[in-house]
Amino acid sequence: MTFQPPETGEIDALVTDGYLDSLLAARERRALDSPSVVELDPDVRLAAARLAETAARVHPSFRFEERLAVRLADAARRMTLAPAVGLEDLPGGSISTIEPDPAGSALGPVGPLDLLDPARPEEIAGIPRPLIIGGTLASAALSIAGAALVAWRLNRPGRGGTERVRLA
Amino acid sequence: MARAVFRKVSADGERRLVHLDRDRPLVEAALREPARFDALYRKYLAQVYSYAFYELGDHHDAEDATERTFLLALGALPRFEERARPADGEGASTFRVWLFQIARNVVANVRRSRRRRPEAPLEAAALVASPLDVESRATHRLEAAEAWAAVGRLPDDRRRALVLRFVEEMSTAEIAGILGRSEGAVRVLIHRGLRAVARDLDRRP
Repeated sequence: MTFQPPETGEIDALVTDGYLDSLLAARERRALDSPSVVELDPDVRLAAARLAETAARVHPSFRFEERLAVRLADAARRMTLAPAVGLEDLPGGSISTIEPDPAGSALGPVGPLDLLDPARPEEIAGIPRPLIIGGTLASAALSIAGAALVAWRLNRPGRGGTERVRLA
Repeated sequence: MARAVFRKVSADGERRLVHLDRDRPLVEAALREPARFDALYRKYLAQVYSYAFYELGDHHDAEDATERTFLLALGALPRFEERARPADGEGASTFRVWLFQIARNVVANVRRSRRRRPEAPLEAAALVASPLDVESRATHRLEAAEAWAAVGRLPDDRRRALVLRFVEEMSTAEIAGILGRSEGAVRVLIHRGLRAVARDLDRRP
């Protein structure tokens, strides 16, 4: 195994990274002075300082927070009920008839295929269409909450005997 | 700074300490009882919303993206696999990385559907910075708007990396997990992004 020295760009990137660590830590403790790193390009330092100074976390409205909390609680309740009563027995009938969000979503429906692992969309490509869920062909009218229920049932602990949360 | 979480585990008869995801208790509770997902939702709502807002620049779009992210996360939670490593740093959360992978995909879909670049959005995001700084607010806002507009003109990965680094204050390791890049590649993305922002600001009068 041979040692591969980092290229100049990577060294600069490492210096920048170290500076950002110090800068963001200084911001967290509300320090008045900025850390100084001699090796860092002054223009890069200025840009970083300006972004760090003006970056602020934005909080949604309380109304939105509570509305989404209710939607999540409703989806969670259906997930809890589903294994016991079966999809067909859910209030409102099959999942394809669950009412969409009354407030409406500009994003359109989420399909169940998107839910198999939404963090890794590339895995979705290998799954054949169409997918039949609960005896009903998945349609574009499937609500987000309904699709979440399907994904939960497909993935719930105990399926395949695998433990989903593992030790590192 | 979050407290590091360790647990003794026994592998092949050998007991050792391993670094755990700091959200493990909350994730385990939500897996047992989906209603307990609420704790994870409350904990990460502002972060996910903030990321969506900086990326999309519109409160309604950010709300939609946030809603979709959490509903997707709730449905897919059983597929979440913890991968916290010592290299992830003290208080690391791979749940947060996983959640932001979902948010990244959701936001990317919204941006694709819009088919336009978010110059105004990031300027809008800058206007919320330092709302109490009355005296220098006008100058400050202008500078902030210019800087974030420059970020908005960056290629996707550089822009995402800068937003995650500066707004969410994520480590390079976390950003690497979210963007699916190596830590070295993320450092280079951020460095080049900052250089581009610096050049952009330099060109302005």
